[in-house]
Amino acid sequence: MSFSMQNFYDSFKSALLYAPVTIKLTAITFIVSLIFGAVIATIRNYRIPVLSQFFAFFVTVYLGLPTMVALLIYNLLFMTLYADVANAFHISVPISDVNPIIIGYFTLIIGTTCSISESIRGAFRGIEKVQYEAGYSIGMGRFKTLTRIIFPQMIPILLPGMQNSLIGLLKASNLVSAISVVEIMTGALLPSLLYYSYLEGYVAAALVYWIIGAAIEILAHFAEKRCGKYLKIATES
Amino acid sequence: MIELTGVKKAFGKQEVLKDVSIKVNDGEVVVILGPSGSGKTTLLRSINFLEKADSGIMKFGDKEINFKKAGKKDILYMRRHTGFVFQNYGLFAHKTVLQNVMEGLVQVQKKSKAEAQKIAEDVLEKVGMLEKKDSYPSQLSGGQQQRVGIARAVALSPELILFDEPTSALDPELVGETLEVIKKVAQTGITMIVVTHEMSFAEDVADRVIFMDGGVVVEEGKPGEIFYKPKEERTRQFLSRIIPQDAYVI
Repeated sequence: MSFSMQNFYDSFKSALLYAPVTIKLTAITFIVSLIFGAVIATIRNYRIPVLSQFFAFFVTVYLGLPTMVALLIYNLLFMTLYADVANAFHISVPISDVNPIIIGYFTLIIGTTCSISESIRGAFRGIEKVQYEAGYSIGMGRFKTLTRIIFPQMIPILLPGMQNSLIGLLKASNLVSAISVVEIMTGALLPSLLYYSYLEGYVAAALVYWIIGAAIEILAHFAEKRCGKYLKIATES
Repeated sequence: MIELTGVKKAFGKQEVLKDVSIKVNDGEVVVILGPSGSGKTTLLRSINFLEKADSGIMKFGDKEINFKKAGKKDILYMRRHTGFVFQNYGLFAHKTVLQNVMEGLVQVQKKSKAEAQKIAEDVLEKVGMLEKKDSYPSQLSGGQQQRVGIARAVALSPELILFDEPTSALDPELVGETLEVIKKVAQTGITMIVVTHEMSFAEDVADRVIFMDGGVVVEEGKPGEIFYKPKEERTRQFLSRIIPQDAYVI
Protein backbone atom coordinates (compact mmCIF):
# COMPACT_ATOMS: atom_id res chain seq x y z
CA MET A 1 0.00 0.00 0.00
CA SER A 2 1.39 3.38 -0.95
CA PHE A 3 1.35 6.46 1.25
CA SER A 4 1.63 9.82 -0.50
CA MET A 5 2.98 12.60 1.67
CA GLN A 6 1.37 15.15 -0.64
CA ASN A 7 -2.07 13.56 -0.25
CA PHE A 8 -1.52 13.30 3.47
CA TYR A 9 -0.62 16.99 3.60
CA ASP A 10 -3.75 17.92 1.62
CA SER A 11 -5.92 15.79 3.90
CA PHE A 12 -4.32 17.23 6.99
CA LYS A 13 -4.97 20.79 5.76
CA SER A 14 -8.54 19.95 4.89
CA ALA A 15 -9.07 18.26 8.26
CA LEU A 16 -7.68 21.32 10.06
CA LEU A 17 -10.13 23.47 8.13
CA TYR A 18 -12.99 21.54 9.75
CA ALA A 19 -11.36 21.25 13.17
CA PRO A 20 -13.35 24.26 14.46
CA VAL A 21 -16.59 22.36 13.75
CA THR A 22 -15.43 19.47 15.93
CA ILE A 23 -13.99 21.73 18.61
CA LYS A 24 -17.15 23.80 18.80
CA LEU A 25 -19.35 20.70 18.87
CA THR A 26 -17.22 19.16 21.62
CA ALA A 27 -16.86 22.31 23.71
CA ILE A 28 -20.50 23.39 23.63
CA THR A 29 -21.73 19.85 24.26
CA PHE A 30 -19.32 19.50 27.16
CA ILE A 31 -20.25 22.78 28.85
CA VAL A 32 -24.00 22.26 28.46
CA SER A 33 -23.69 18.65 29.67
CA LEU A 34 -21.62 19.75 32.64
CA ILE A 35 -24.33 22.18 33.72
CA PHE A 36 -27.18 19.69 33.17
CA GLY A 37 -25.11 16.91 34.72
CA ALA A 38 -24.43 19.02 37.82
CA VAL A 39 -28.15 19.82 38.15
CA ILE A 40 -29.16 16.15 37.82
CA ALA A 41 -26.46 14.97 40.23
CA THR A 42 -27.46 17.64 42.75
CA ILE A 43 -31.14 16.67 42.51
CA ARG A 44 -30.22 13.04 43.09
CA ASN A 45 -27.78 13.88 45.89
CA TYR A 46 -30.42 15.83 47.82
CA ARG A 47 -33.02 13.14 46.98
CA ILE A 48 -35.55 15.65 45.71
CA PRO A 49 -38.76 13.62 45.41
CA VAL A 50 -40.09 12.54 41.99
CA LEU A 51 -37.31 14.28 40.04
CA SER A 52 -34.55 12.22 41.65
CA GLN A 53 -36.39 8.95 40.97
CA PHE A 54 -37.10 10.04 37.43
CA PHE A 55 -33.46 10.91 36.71
CA ALA A 56 -32.18 7.76 38.42
CA PHE A 57 -34.34 5.71 36.07
CA PHE A 58 -33.59 7.80 33.00
CA VAL A 59 -29.82 7.88 33.48
CA THR A 60 -29.62 4.15 34.19
CA VAL A 61 -31.61 3.26 31.09
CA TYR A 62 -30.03 5.84 28.82
CA LEU A 63 -26.42 4.95 29.67
CA GLY A 64 -26.99 1.58 28.00
CA LEU A 65 -27.83 3.16 24.66
CA PRO A 66 -24.92 3.34 22.17
CA THR A 67 -24.34 6.87 20.86
CA MET A 68 -24.46 5.76 17.22
CA VAL A 69 -27.82 4.02 17.66
CA ALA A 70 -29.25 7.06 19.46
CA LEU A 71 -27.94 9.37 16.74
CA LEU A 72 -29.51 7.35 13.94
CA ILE A 73 -32.85 7.01 15.78
CA TYR A 74 -33.07 10.76 16.47
CA ASN A 75 -32.05 11.52 12.90
CA LEU A 76 -34.72 9.23 11.51
CA LEU A 77 -37.37 10.66 13.83
CA PHE A 78 -36.30 14.16 12.84
CA MET A 79 -36.48 13.39 9.13
CA THR A 80 -39.91 11.80 9.34
CA LEU A 81 -41.56 14.08 11.86
CA TYR A 82 -40.05 17.47 10.99
CA ALA A 83 -42.64 18.44 8.37
CA ASP A 84 -45.61 17.76 10.68
CA VAL A 85 -44.07 19.49 13.67
CA ALA A 86 -42.96 22.48 11.61
CA ASN A 87 -46.50 22.77 10.25
CA ALA A 88 -48.06 22.58 13.67
CA PHE A 89 -45.85 25.41 14.95
CA HIS A 90 -46.06 27.41 11.72
CA ILE A 91 -42.30 27.16 11.11
CA SER A 92 -41.61 27.91 7.48
CA VAL A 93 -37.95 26.77 7.37
CA PRO A 94 -37.69 23.79 4.98
CA ILE A 95 -35.92 20.71 6.34
CA SER A 96 -33.09 21.15 3.82
CA ASP A 97 -32.18 24.43 5.53
CA VAL A 98 -31.89 22.86 8.97
CA ASN A 99 -28.29 22.04 9.83
CA PRO A 100 -28.18 18.35 10.80
CA ILE A 101 -25.58 19.23 13.44
CA ILE A 102 -28.55 20.07 15.70
CA ILE A 103 -29.30 16.34 15.88
CA GLY A 104 -25.64 15.81 16.72
CA TYR A 105 -25.79 18.31 19.58
CA PHE A 106 -29.00 16.78 20.88
CA THR A 107 -27.62 13.23 20.89
CA LEU A 108 -24.23 14.06 22.34
CA ILE A 109 -25.62 16.36 25.04
CA ILE A 110 -28.10 13.79 26.38
CA GLY A 111 -25.48 11.02 26.43
CA THR A 112 -22.72 13.13 27.95
CA THR A 113 -25.08 14.67 30.51
CA CYS A 114 -25.95 11.18 31.75
CA SER A 115 -22.34 10.04 32.11
CA ILE A 116 -21.13 13.33 33.63
CA SER A 117 -24.01 13.33 36.13
CA GLU A 118 -22.76 9.96 37.36
CA SER A 119 -19.21 11.28 37.81
CA ILE A 120 -20.52 14.28 39.74
CA ARG A 121 -22.62 12.01 41.93
CA GLY A 122 -19.44 10.14 42.74
CA ALA A 123 -17.66 13.37 43.62
CA PHE A 124 -20.51 14.32 45.99
CA ARG A 125 -19.77 11.16 47.94
CA GLY A 126 -16.16 12.25 48.33
CA ILE A 127 -17.17 15.24 50.46
CA GLU A 128 -17.54 14.72 54.20
CA LYS A 129 -20.88 15.53 55.82
CA VAL A 130 -19.20 17.94 58.23
CA GLN A 131 -18.32 20.25 55.30
CA TYR A 132 -22.04 20.86 54.73
CA GLU A 133 -22.67 21.23 58.45
CA ALA A 134 -19.79 23.69 58.80
CA GLY A 135 -21.32 25.78 56.01
CA TYR A 136 -24.75 25.71 57.67
CA SER A 137 -23.24 26.44 61.09
CA ILE A 138 -21.78 29.76 59.98
CA GLY A 139 -25.19 30.75 58.67
CA MET A 140 -24.96 29.94 54.98
CA GLY A 141 -28.01 28.51 53.26
CA ARG A 142 -28.12 25.36 51.13
CA PHE A 143 -27.30 27.13 47.89
CA LYS A 144 -24.35 29.08 49.22
CA THR A 145 -22.96 26.05 51.01
CA LEU A 146 -23.21 24.14 47.75
CA THR A 147 -21.60 26.78 45.55
CA ARG A 148 -19.01 28.13 48.01
CA ILE A 149 -18.01 25.00 49.93
CA ILE A 150 -19.06 21.78 48.25
CA PHE A 151 -18.62 22.41 44.50
CA PRO A 152 -15.11 23.91 44.82
CA GLN A 153 -14.00 20.85 46.77
CA MET A 154 -15.49 18.58 44.13
CA ILE A 155 -13.48 20.09 41.27
CA PRO A 156 -10.14 18.39 42.03
CA ILE A 157 -11.97 15.10 42.56
CA LEU A 158 -13.78 15.56 39.26
CA LEU A 159 -10.93 16.70 37.04
CA PRO A 160 -9.47 13.32 36.01
CA GLY A 161 -12.94 11.99 35.19
CA MET A 162 -13.89 15.16 33.31
CA GLN A 163 -10.73 15.00 31.25
CA ASN A 164 -11.74 11.46 30.36
CA SER A 165 -15.28 12.52 29.47
CA LEU A 166 -14.04 15.40 27.34
CA ILE A 167 -11.66 13.23 25.32
CA GLY A 168 -14.34 10.55 25.00
CA LEU A 169 -16.71 13.20 23.75
CA LEU A 170 -14.14 14.50 21.25
CA LYS A 171 -13.83 11.02 19.82
CA ALA A 172 -17.58 10.38 19.87
CA SER A 173 -18.18 13.66 18.06
CA ASN A 174 -16.96 12.17 14.80
CA LEU A 175 -20.06 9.94 14.78
CA VAL A 176 -22.01 12.94 13.53
CA SER A 177 -20.38 12.36 10.15
CA ALA A 178 -22.97 9.56 9.88
CA ILE A 179 -25.72 12.18 9.59
CA SER A 180 -23.81 14.14 6.95
CA VAL A 181 -22.21 16.77 9.18
CA VAL A 182 -18.78 17.70 7.81
CA GLU A 183 -16.20 17.66 10.61
CA ILE A 184 -12.56 16.59 10.99
CA MET A 185 -13.12 13.04 9.80
CA THR A 186 -15.15 13.86 6.70
CA GLY A 187 -12.94 16.90 6.08
CA ALA A 188 -9.82 14.74 6.01
CA LEU A 189 -11.44 12.40 3.54
CA LEU A 190 -12.43 15.12 1.05
CA PRO A 191 -9.07 15.02 -0.81
CA SER A 192 -9.06 11.23 -0.56
CA LEU A 193 -12.24 11.14 -2.58
CA LEU A 194 -10.35 12.74 -5.48
CA TYR A 195 -7.35 10.40 -5.35
CA TYR A 196 -9.18 7.19 -4.30
CA SER A 197 -6.52 6.77 -1.61
CA TYR A 198 -7.94 6.71 1.89
CA LEU A 199 -5.07 5.83 4.22
CA GLU A 200 -3.65 9.38 4.11
CA GLY A 201 -7.08 10.80 5.00
CA TYR A 202 -7.59 8.48 7.96
CA VAL A 203 -4.08 9.09 9.31
CA ALA A 204 -4.50 12.86 8.88
CA ALA A 205 -7.80 12.72 10.79
CA ALA A 206 -6.17 10.66 13.52
CA LEU A 207 -3.36 13.19 13.82
CA VAL A 208 -5.75 16.14 14.20
CA TYR A 209 -7.82 14.31 16.84
CA TRP A 210 -4.64 13.38 18.62
CA ILE A 211 -3.40 16.98 18.68
CA ILE A 212 -6.69 18.24 20.15
CA GLY A 213 -6.70 15.37 22.64
CA ALA A 214 -3.16 16.19 23.72
CA ALA A 215 -4.12 19.84 24.16
CA ILE A 216 -7.00 18.79 26.43
CA GLU A 217 -4.67 16.63 28.49
CA ILE A 218 -2.18 19.45 28.93
CA LEU A 219 -4.92 21.86 29.97
CA ALA A 220 -6.34 19.32 32.41
CA HIS A 221 -2.91 18.78 33.87
CA PHE A 222 -2.51 22.49 34.63
CA ALA A 223 -6.04 22.75 35.95
CA GLU A 224 -5.38 19.82 38.26
CA LYS A 225 -2.20 21.40 39.52
CA ARG A 226 -3.94 24.67 40.25
CA CYS A 227 -7.14 23.37 41.84
CA GLY A 228 -5.65 20.55 43.80
CA LYS A 229 -3.15 22.62 45.73
CA TYR A 230 -4.65 21.77 49.09
CA LEU A 231 -5.07 18.11 48.14
CA LYS A 232 -1.46 17.83 47.07
CA ILE A 233 -0.32 19.19 50.40
CA ALA A 234 -2.48 16.59 52.07
CA THR A 235 -0.86 13.69 50.25
CA GLU A 236 2.69 15.00 50.40
CA SER A 237 3.28 14.77 54.14
CA MET B 1 -30.59 33.37 77.46
CA ILE B 2 -31.57 30.09 75.87
CA GLU B 3 -34.25 27.82 77.19
CA LEU B 4 -35.26 24.45 75.79
CA THR B 5 -38.49 22.88 76.98
CA GLY B 6 -39.74 19.37 76.32
CA VAL B 7 -37.37 18.55 73.49
CA LYS B 8 -37.97 15.15 71.91
CA LYS B 9 -36.10 13.47 69.11
CA ALA B 10 -36.18 9.96 67.72
CA PHE B 11 -34.12 8.36 64.98
CA GLY B 12 -36.59 5.83 63.63
CA LYS B 13 -37.78 3.88 66.68
CA GLN B 14 -34.76 4.88 68.76
CA GLU B 15 -35.73 7.68 71.14
CA VAL B 16 -32.62 9.79 71.67
CA LEU B 17 -34.12 12.75 73.52
CA LYS B 18 -37.08 12.03 75.79
CA ASP B 19 -38.49 15.31 76.98
CA VAL B 20 -35.35 17.30 77.75
CA SER B 21 -35.51 20.78 79.26
CA ILE B 22 -32.52 22.97 79.96
CA LYS B 23 -31.96 26.65 80.56
CA VAL B 24 -28.73 28.57 80.08
CA ASN B 25 -28.42 32.18 81.25
CA ASP B 26 -26.50 34.91 79.48
CA GLY B 27 -22.77 34.62 80.02
CA GLU B 28 -23.08 31.22 81.59
CA VAL B 29 -20.78 28.33 80.66
CA VAL B 30 -22.60 25.03 80.86
CA VAL B 31 -20.95 21.65 80.41
CA ILE B 32 -23.08 18.70 79.37
CA LEU B 33 -21.76 15.34 80.52
CA GLY B 34 -22.96 11.86 79.91
CA PRO B 35 -22.12 8.46 78.49
CA SER B 36 -22.18 7.99 74.74
CA GLY B 37 -25.70 7.55 73.46
CA SER B 38 -27.08 9.76 76.20
CA GLY B 39 -28.31 12.29 73.65
CA LYS B 40 -26.00 15.16 74.63
CA THR B 41 -24.61 15.72 71.14
CA THR B 42 -28.07 15.44 69.58
CA LEU B 43 -29.36 18.04 72.03
CA LEU B 44 -26.52 20.39 71.13
CA ARG B 45 -27.05 19.88 67.40
CA SER B 46 -30.79 20.48 67.77
CA ILE B 47 -30.11 24.01 68.97
CA ASN B 48 -28.74 25.13 65.61
CA PHE B 49 -30.80 22.63 63.62
CA LEU B 50 -27.98 20.39 62.42
CA GLU B 51 -30.45 17.88 63.82
CA LYS B 52 -34.14 18.58 63.65
CA ALA B 53 -35.86 17.83 66.94
CA ASP B 54 -39.35 16.32 66.63
CA SER B 55 -41.00 18.56 69.20
CA GLY B 56 -40.33 21.03 71.98
CA ILE B 57 -39.98 24.76 72.41
CA MET B 58 -36.80 26.83 72.20
CA LYS B 59 -36.61 30.34 73.58
CA PHE B 60 -33.58 32.30 72.47
CA GLY B 61 -33.42 35.96 73.43
CA ASP B 62 -36.91 37.21 72.62
CA LYS B 63 -37.42 34.63 69.91
CA GLU B 64 -39.55 31.58 70.50
CA ILE B 65 -39.34 28.61 68.15
CA ASN B 66 -41.53 25.55 68.13
CA PHE B 67 -39.38 22.69 66.84
CA LYS B 68 -42.36 21.05 65.18
CA LYS B 69 -43.08 24.15 63.11
CA ALA B 70 -39.58 25.57 62.68
CA GLY B 71 -39.21 27.06 59.21
CA LYS B 72 -36.28 28.16 57.10
CA LYS B 73 -36.23 31.60 58.71
CA ASP B 74 -36.06 30.20 62.25
CA ILE B 75 -33.28 27.82 61.27
CA LEU B 76 -31.24 30.56 59.64
CA TYR B 77 -31.85 32.86 62.62
CA MET B 78 -30.48 30.30 65.07
CA ARG B 79 -27.49 29.51 62.86
CA ARG B 80 -26.65 33.16 62.43
CA HIS B 81 -26.80 33.86 66.16
CA THR B 82 -24.95 30.80 67.38
CA GLY B 83 -21.51 29.39 66.65
CA PHE B 84 -20.68 25.72 66.43
CA VAL B 85 -17.37 23.96 67.04
CA PHE B 86 -17.20 20.44 65.64
CA GLN B 87 -15.61 17.35 67.11
CA ASN B 88 -13.65 16.73 63.91
CA TYR B 89 -12.98 20.46 63.30
CA GLY B 90 -14.96 20.77 60.03
CA LEU B 91 -12.65 23.37 58.53
CA PHE B 92 -13.28 24.13 54.87
CA ALA B 93 -10.59 21.96 53.29
CA HIS B 94 -10.12 24.11 50.20
CA LYS B 95 -9.67 27.36 52.09
CA THR B 96 -6.73 28.70 54.03
CA VAL B 97 -6.92 29.42 57.74
CA LEU B 98 -7.65 33.09 57.08
CA GLN B 99 -10.26 32.32 54.40
CA ASN B 100 -11.94 29.87 56.75
CA VAL B 101 -12.46 32.56 59.34
CA MET B 102 -13.38 35.24 56.79
CA GLU B 103 -15.95 33.16 54.90
CA GLY B 104 -18.89 33.77 57.23
CA LEU B 105 -17.96 37.41 57.78
CA VAL B 106 -17.97 38.17 54.06
CA GLN B 107 -20.61 35.77 52.75
CA VAL B 108 -23.12 35.84 55.61
CA GLN B 109 -22.52 39.08 57.49
CA LYS B 110 -21.71 40.93 54.24
CA LYS B 111 -18.69 42.71 55.67
CA SER B 112 -16.14 44.16 53.31
CA LYS B 113 -13.07 42.04 52.64
CA ALA B 114 -10.78 44.46 54.43
CA GLU B 115 -12.98 44.63 57.51
CA ALA B 116 -13.43 40.85 57.55
CA GLN B 117 -9.70 40.32 57.28
CA LYS B 118 -9.06 42.63 60.20
CA ILE B 119 -11.57 40.82 62.41
CA ALA B 120 -10.27 37.43 61.29
CA GLU B 121 -6.65 38.34 62.01
CA ASP B 122 -7.61 39.70 65.43
CA VAL B 123 -9.35 36.48 66.37
CA LEU B 124 -6.57 34.30 64.93
CA GLU B 125 -4.10 36.25 67.02
CA LYS B 126 -6.15 35.46 70.12
CA VAL B 127 -6.12 31.72 69.43
CA GLY B 128 -2.43 31.84 68.53
CA MET B 129 -2.90 30.91 64.89
CA LEU B 130 -2.08 34.15 63.10
CA GLU B 131 1.29 32.89 61.84
CA LYS B 132 -0.48 30.00 60.13
CA LYS B 133 -3.10 32.17 58.43
CA ASP B 134 -2.01 31.14 54.92
CA SER B 135 -1.84 27.42 55.65
CA TYR B 136 -4.44 24.92 54.51
CA PRO B 137 -6.17 22.78 57.15
CA SER B 138 -4.34 19.68 55.91
CA GLN B 139 -1.03 21.29 56.91
CA LEU B 140 -2.09 21.74 60.53
CA SER B 141 -2.16 19.48 63.56
CA GLY B 142 -5.50 18.56 65.07
CA GLY B 143 -5.06 21.04 67.89
CA GLN B 144 -4.24 23.84 65.48
CA GLN B 145 -7.24 22.96 63.29
CA GLN B 146 -9.52 23.02 66.29
CA ARG B 147 -8.19 26.43 67.34
CA VAL B 148 -9.04 27.71 63.87
CA GLY B 149 -12.46 26.08 64.21
CA ILE B 150 -12.97 28.02 67.42
CA ALA B 151 -11.73 31.23 65.77
CA ARG B 152 -14.19 30.74 62.91
CA ALA B 153 -17.07 30.45 65.36
CA VAL B 154 -15.92 33.34 67.57
CA ALA B 155 -15.23 35.73 64.66
CA LEU B 156 -18.93 35.89 63.82
CA SER B 157 -19.57 37.25 67.37
CA PRO B 158 -22.44 34.88 68.12
CA GLU B 159 -24.53 35.19 71.25
CA LEU B 160 -23.99 31.53 72.05
CA ILE B 161 -21.27 29.05 71.10
CA LEU B 162 -21.91 25.33 71.02
CA PHE B 163 -18.92 23.01 71.45
CA ASP B 164 -19.43 19.39 70.43
CA GLU B 165 -16.72 17.34 72.12
CA PRO B 166 -14.07 19.75 70.88
CA THR B 167 -11.11 17.76 72.17
CA SER B 168 -12.16 14.14 71.75
CA ALA B 169 -10.56 13.74 68.32
CA LEU B 170 -7.25 15.17 69.52
CA ASP B 171 -4.05 13.46 70.56
CA PRO B 172 -3.70 13.75 74.35
CA GLU B 173 -0.78 16.19 74.17
CA LEU B 174 -2.85 18.58 72.02
CA VAL B 175 -5.87 18.67 74.32
CA GLY B 176 -4.31 21.19 76.67
CA GLU B 177 -3.67 23.94 74.12
CA THR B 178 -7.20 23.63 72.78
CA LEU B 179 -8.79 23.75 76.21
CA GLU B 180 -6.71 26.83 77.02
CA VAL B 181 -8.24 28.58 74.00
CA ILE B 182 -11.75 27.55 74.97
CA LYS B 183 -11.10 28.81 78.48
CA LYS B 184 -9.99 32.14 77.05
CA VAL B 185 -13.21 32.38 75.03
CA ALA B 186 -15.22 31.58 78.17
CA GLN B 187 -13.52 34.45 79.99
CA THR B 188 -14.84 36.92 77.43
CA GLY B 189 -18.26 36.37 78.97
CA ILE B 190 -19.93 34.71 76.02
CA THR B 191 -22.61 32.10 76.67
CA MET B 192 -21.31 28.60 75.99
CA ILE B 193 -22.66 25.07 76.00
CA VAL B 194 -19.88 22.50 75.93
CA VAL B 195 -20.24 18.77 75.50
CA THR B 196 -17.03 17.25 76.81
CA HIS B 197 -15.47 14.48 78.86
CA GLU B 198 -12.73 16.72 80.22
CA MET B 199 -13.52 16.79 83.92
CA SER B 200 -10.82 19.17 85.05
CA PHE B 201 -11.84 21.59 82.34
CA ALA B 202 -15.46 21.37 83.45
CA GLU B 203 -14.42 21.99 87.02
CA ASP B 204 -12.30 24.98 86.03
CA VAL B 205 -14.57 26.71 83.58
CA ALA B 206 -18.15 25.55 83.94
CA ASP B 207 -20.67 27.52 85.95
CA ARG B 208 -22.98 24.54 85.83
CA VAL B 209 -22.79 20.89 84.81
CA ILE B 210 -25.71 19.00 83.34
CA PHE B 211 -25.54 15.22 83.48
CA MET B 212 -27.55 13.37 80.84
CA ASP B 213 -28.21 9.68 80.43
CA GLY B 214 -30.64 7.74 78.28
CA GLY B 215 -32.07 10.84 76.65
CA VAL B 216 -33.01 12.67 79.84
CA VAL B 217 -31.35 15.17 82.17
CA VAL B 218 -30.48 13.13 85.26
CA GLU B 219 -29.18 15.94 87.40
CA GLU B 220 -27.56 19.35 87.23
CA GLY B 221 -25.65 21.64 89.50
CA LYS B 222 -22.36 23.35 90.21
CA PRO B 223 -19.34 21.30 89.10
CA GLY B 224 -18.26 20.71 92.70
CA GLU B 225 -21.69 19.37 93.67
CA ILE B 226 -22.00 17.09 90.65
CA PHE B 227 -18.47 15.73 90.83
CA TYR B 228 -18.11 15.22 94.56
CA LYS B 229 -21.64 15.05 95.94
CA PRO B 230 -23.81 13.60 93.16
CA LYS B 231 -27.38 12.94 94.25
CA GLU B 232 -28.22 10.32 91.68
CA GLU B 233 -26.84 6.80 91.55
CA ARG B 234 -26.47 6.97 87.76
CA THR B 235 -24.29 10.07 88.01
CA ARG B 236 -22.13 8.40 90.64
CA GLN B 237 -21.64 5.31 88.49
CA PHE B 238 -20.70 7.36 85.46
CA LEU B 239 -18.25 9.55 87.36
CA SER B 240 -16.56 6.63 89.04
CA ARG B 241 -15.74 5.31 85.60
CA ILE B 242 -14.21 8.51 84.25
CA ILE B 243 -12.62 10.16 87.30
CA PRO B 244 -9.64 8.03 88.26
CA GLN B 245 -9.82 7.67 92.04
CA ASP B 246 -6.65 9.60 92.91
CA ALA B 247 -6.96 12.02 90.06
CA TYR B 248 -6.10 15.22 91.84
CA VAL B 249 -2.75 14.18 93.18
CA ILE B 250 -0.51 14.55 90.16
